[in-house]
Amino acid sequence: MTAAAVRVRGSWRLCGWCAAAIVLEAGLYASYRGHDARFHWFTHFFVGAATALAVMTIVVLRCRRPVARPLVWPMAAHVVAMAPDLAFTAGYAHQRWMDIFLGHITVHFVPGRNWTWLIVFLTSLAAYLVALDRTRSRVAAP
Amino acid sequence: MIVRPARTALPTRRALVAVWVAAAAAFVVLVSVAQRLEGPLDDPDQAEQRVGFVDEGPLPRPAPMVTDGMPAGGRPTVVLFLRPAGAAAQCRDVSRRVSPTAALVVVLAGPASCVGIPAVLVDPERRTAVAYGMRSPADGGPPVGYAVVDAETRIRYRTLDPDPAAHSREITTILGAL
Repeated sequence: MTAAAVRVRGSWRLCGWCAAAIVLEAGLYASYRGHDARFHWFTHFFVGAATALAVMTIVVLRCRRPVARPLVWPMAAHVVAMAPDLAFTAGYAHQRWMDIFLGHITVHFVPGRNWTWLIVFLTSLAAYLVALDRTRSRVAAP
Repeated sequence: MIVRPARTALPTRRALVAVWVAAAAAFVVLVSVAQRLEGPLDDPDQAEQRVGFVDEGPLPRPAPMVTDGMPAGGRPTVVLFLRPAGAAAQCRDVSRRVSPTAALVVVLAGPASCVGIPAVLVDPERRTAVAYGMRSPADGGPPVGYAVVDAETRIRYRTLDPDPAAHSREITTILGAL
């Protein structure tokens, strides 16, 4: 198989994962029946995705190759971060100990609110992409 | 020389920059739109609205009397803060869904009918809302929301909620956490 064919197949696979991620995130947004989705979804998505991207960056730098299924990591971390909200929908009020889910309670109260977490998320994404770029440079080097 | 292509083709630097720019642009737009969609009765600080856990910040603290003998000890009480517009429907629906679990008392910002809840106080001066530490909604008018008082007549939870009837299950969840 040529390099171009590999790239095309990879792009199609990525599109499939993107579509799956969008469907999953839409489902998670819709799951906020018992809570304000517009605020909470963003908070826990940014926190979960930023955490996943930080871990992915470390893995890429150590293993010197891209992580497998890169969209699954942020989605999984998002589910972990918002787990208490799923419990709330099922009738269980929040408790302070639920901060073990990526700071589920505390993260809402940082100065700047969701804008702060957006900056953290974009910084983590930038770090991961830089790590990928470095990996590509190493692979391309003779 | 035979060149074996990598099993996973790594994106170019340009593609990586494009991914970051697209993500940044998309999320800035989405967060901005989400903030603009907040209504006039919502809390200007969304982190303070419907937090979902009891005893936040200075709570618990003693609950001031709203009407004669209410809130009473021995049973939780939900103190509803409503505006006259739509109060009748809110009273009817919240009463039907929450009254089996807790006593109900209503503080109205102006005269209105309130079906199903006998304990009603009309308080256009907002003194009760201030005494309960209710926050001001985005439009600066009287608050719409509720406070949850436990059986020892302590305020354990308070929040703005533009539509308490629609979220009455959330009220019963908080009552279950007392």
